[in-house]
Amino acid sequence: MIEFINVNKTYPNGVTALKDVNLKIEQGEFVAIIGLSGAGKSTLIRCINRMHEINEGTLNVDGVNVSNLRGKQVRDFRRKIGMIFQSFNLVTRTTVLNNVLVSSVPELSFWRKTLGLFPKEKKIAALEALDKVGILDKAYNRVDQLSGGQQQRVALARTLAQNPSIILADEPVASLDPVTAKVVMDDFKRINQEMEMSILINIHHVELALEYADRVIGVRKGEVVYDGKSEDVTQDVLNNIYGSLTEVPHMDDPEEAKV
Amino acid sequence: MEETVYDKIFKPKTYTLENGKTVKQRASRTPLILLLVLIATYASFRTTGADLSLLLKRGNQFFVIIIGMFPPNFEFLSNIWGPLFDTIQMSLLGSLAGALVAVPLALLSSSNIIKNAFVNGFFKFFLSILRTLPTLVLALIFTFLFGLGTMAGMLSIFIFTSSYVGKLMYEHIENVDMGAFEANESMGLSKVEAFRYAIIPEVLPTYLSVSLYAFEGNVRYAAILGYVGAGGIGLVLNERLGWRDYPSVGMVLLVLMIVVFIIERVSEYFRRKLS
Repeated sequence: MIEFINVNKTYPNGVTALKDVNLKIEQGEFVAIIGLSGAGKSTLIRCINRMHEINEGTLNVDGVNVSNLRGKQVRDFRRKIGMIFQSFNLVTRTTVLNNVLVSSVPELSFWRKTLGLFPKEKKIAALEALDKVGILDKAYNRVDQLSGGQQQRVALARTLAQNPSIILADEPVASLDPVTAKVVMDDFKRINQEMEMSILINIHHVELALEYADRVIGVRKGEVVYDGKSEDVTQDVLNNIYGSLTEVPHMDDPEEAKV
Repeated sequence: MEETVYDKIFKPKTYTLENGKTVKQRASRTPLILLLVLIATYASFRTTGADLSLLLKRGNQFFVIIIGMFPPNFEFLSNIWGPLFDTIQMSLLGSLAGALVAVPLALLSSSNIIKNAFVNGFFKFFLSILRTLPTLVLALIFTFLFGLGTMAGMLSIFIFTSSYVGKLMYEHIENVDMGAFEANESMGLSKVEAFRYAIIPEVLPTYLSVSLYAFEGNVRYAAILGYVGAGGIGLVLNERLGWRDYPSVGMVLLVLMIVVFIIERVSEYFRRKLS
């Protein structure tokens, strides 16, 4: 369970990213976070695994107060949380398998991780993760030979090999074409249902958010302005989240509907 | 568009669209630059006292020497092997040691790895100081310190290589996408582990390629180092030229050409594999 209690976050340059955020996310939920660029979606997600620090309030993850963790505790804590990025963040000049194996590095002995010698069971675990996202046959290809959609699935396999209980995804489909975006979203849905991992996803495509997520959180200028079931999101709710009317994505927008 | 003095003298061309909107195209700067280059060329002729007529008068002597090298003196071959291997050896050792030392120098210079502006600045400055020292001068200084021979040549090649590879590598490391590093940190890897698994695989092919390229060039450099007494084939070349023994000079040059050609081909093959 992830619990935000009166969380505030201000960047050193004075920008307020989170303002008095209160949230409770149960294990196994599929949550989409929507809002304008710069509304604080990324910050919200990155506070959960301490990639960003909060200034005030309490953030509990599975009963642990995140702000109290130090050094190695932070790294051990992060093992339980997977993260997916918009630009995939893979090492492009090495094989797919090597990228997935990286997730097991902290569990290796000093010599093994220095020399990059992975034991057989880690390799099998990595290959199984690749199989779950359907790109087992690409295991020994170099990442730069893969398409964007395939690369995002390598990133997903890397996260799965880590066997986390929560997956945080920061705009995972923003640099993919509409069809590939759906394929990747299907992967998320399947992982959510089959492995009961909580999934928190930042997303710009409102249509996709409403289609896949069970719950939608709307963020505007660092504040949570909507939190509820995705079925209950109406055009009024979107107007409120996206503020000025010119920016609002329309629910019947043909561009969005095509996705 | 801001109007400069140049635009006032050479009016920009104006295109008018059907709806009355206008777009201005500035007059090309190329003629002005060309004029400046011509003036600079003329000035350098005047100051260096280059005399083209001398080229016509004495130029044919060059071909006399070239013709004198044919046929090369194959009997001289047995005198070449030793110095030739000295040359290759000193460039190989110098390149290898230089490439290794370049790694910590490049790391300390990279602002995305060591987040201390003073340390970065110091090592970047150190690398550029090393690069400004000509290899030939270094070799000369080392012959005073360590005596005549390959040791001096090796050391000067070592210093050149570490500064050259170091500079190219820190520029490359600073341009590496830090996304994979961030992802590794998010998975619970420490900074050192994240560096090992995100940055090293990304820069390793370039590092090997740059090091091979440095070695390739060093073989050519090493051939001249003998002129200042730093050992190797340059020593033989200098001596034979002094004796005007052109057939032997021809032989040395022929062997050198073949060796450099082979090394270049091999290195090119591996560098293509790496990219």
